[in-house]
Amino acid sequence: MSEIIATYQLSKRYGDACRVKNVNLSVREGEIYGFLGPNGAGKTTTLKMILGLTRPTAGRVTVFGKGLEQNRRFILSQTGSLIESPSYYGHLTGLENMRVVQRLRDVPDRNVEEALRIVRLEKQKDRKVAQYSLGMKQRLGIAMALMSFPKLLILDEPTNGLDPAGIGEIRELIKALPQRYDMTVVISSHLLSEIEQTATSIGIIHEGMMLFQGSLEALRNEKLPTILVKTQNNALAQELLARKGYLPARDGDFLAFENLGDDQVAMLNRILVECGMDVLRIEERKKNLERIFLDMTGKGGSL
Amino acid sequence: MGLVGLELYKLRRKRLFLMVILFLAVEIGWAFSATSISISRNPGSAGWEALIAMMSSMNGLFLPILTAVCVSRICDMEHKGNTWKLLLTLSVRRGALYAAKYVAASLVVSLACLMQAVAIAGFGLMKGFEQPVPVLLLLRFLLGLVITNTGVIALQQWASMAAKNQAFALALGMVGGFIGVAADLFPQGIRRIFIWSYYTGLSPVTQSYASAHIQFVVRDMGSLLPVMVALTAVGMVVYLAGSVYVSRQET
Repeated sequence: MSEIIATYQLSKRYGDACRVKNVNLSVREGEIYGFLGPNGAGKTTTLKMILGLTRPTAGRVTVFGKGLEQNRRFILSQTGSLIESPSYYGHLTGLENMRVVQRLRDVPDRNVEEALRIVRLEKQKDRKVAQYSLGMKQRLGIAMALMSFPKLLILDEPTNGLDPAGIGEIRELIKALPQRYDMTVVISSHLLSEIEQTATSIGIIHEGMMLFQGSLEALRNEKLPTILVKTQNNALAQELLARKGYLPARDGDFLAFENLGDDQVAMLNRILVECGMDVLRIEERKKNLERIFLDMTGKGGSL
Repeated sequence: MGLVGLELYKLRRKRLFLMVILFLAVEIGWAFSATSISISRNPGSAGWEALIAMMSSMNGLFLPILTAVCVSRICDMEHKGNTWKLLLTLSVRRGALYAAKYVAASLVVSLACLMQAVAIAGFGLMKGFEQPVPVLLLLRFLLGLVITNTGVIALQQWASMAAKNQAFALALGMVGGFIGVAADLFPQGIRRIFIWSYYTGLSPVTQSYASAHIQFVVRDMGSLLPVMVALTAVGMVVYLAGSVYVSRQET
């Protein structure tokens, strides 16, 4: 699988504020890459730099293995995108909006029809877009991005403003794209659940820095599980262990230890037993994804 | 050329042409009724020169506002629906889009000027003026308008593109209309620096108050030519400055 998007030490400053710091993003062919981060983390800024809408302060971008600066026209001709809020001409109908893009893309009429059908706007295509709901505008934006059936599709928060049924539809659509049309897809979101259900690989960005990049499985295995220990007398055990340099937290009936290797767990058990303290249980608690995000970003499941 | 066509396509349903026609109808109606009154009071002054001079001074008031509205309508749609970034990701260059909008606005305003010239000819024929239709004078009238528009459209486009809030550009147009109508009252040195003063300043016919009666004097083309060249150059400079300014903005 070849690399479709790669950024090298990509950075963007606005005045004193560093919005994106040394991001090395890598998207491989045929992937659905979920770009996850809280609001204001730098997702949109990064995507804008990949599309050449914003100039990086430092670092560089390659798309399809070619430098963005020198090959912008070629790259854009193979890329469909929807960045931030949908773009549309409110005084024109949905179909006329599609025609505007069609003229610039130079694609046949059947592409327009197909794209409208995919996002289920074919019945509303003759209405003025100003009268569309936010969800319909979002669908129109997706249709415009899909129209040329590009090799690379970049969707920034594509399910914004959609109702639950619409979110489900778009999710299924995105999942189908790599096989059906041979596309590579990048979707950004601040919702963990959304990315979890669609992405094959993810990148987590927080305060402009890439915290993790890889598969969901790798993310799950990234952090060591929490070790929970229950003893006869937790308060005394805590005091004993504190002297040996262990600093557990109280978690109900248990003492909770973070980042312990197997050796350390064995050692901990020995200390307690040698002091005559009965150990009733030692448990391992795998962290769920939400917990991992919380640890990474200091925020909850809705990043 | 494709981009200009696309700009005209995007003007669908904007009712821009209807607005232009209604606006012109008011202006032309006003100019013609004023001319009719002066003819009925003073039948000797009936002539093409008076009609063209009247239309030119009306243009000083109306055309800056009409231009501001047309340019604003053409530019505003990109602000309203966030379509700048859409077009940029479709590999349209900012400079090319700016040029297409300029050409589209020029076409619309020039069409309005052409309609004025046709209306002048029609009115004169209807009133039974003695001389034949002064084609050369009308062409010079059009040329003066087109050259003035070059600068005014460039200025309005800069304002409409740079500031999302169109109130600024429209207010600029209204200030232009005020200056355009009052320009003839300013001293020559001051008048020259205002682009809107050239609606009357480049008119082939001017009014002279030398005697007790108003006289209409046809200007010598040679005396206007350097002004026309200079004004075109100013227009181009304003256009380039606006284009560069807008191209440097980031979405």
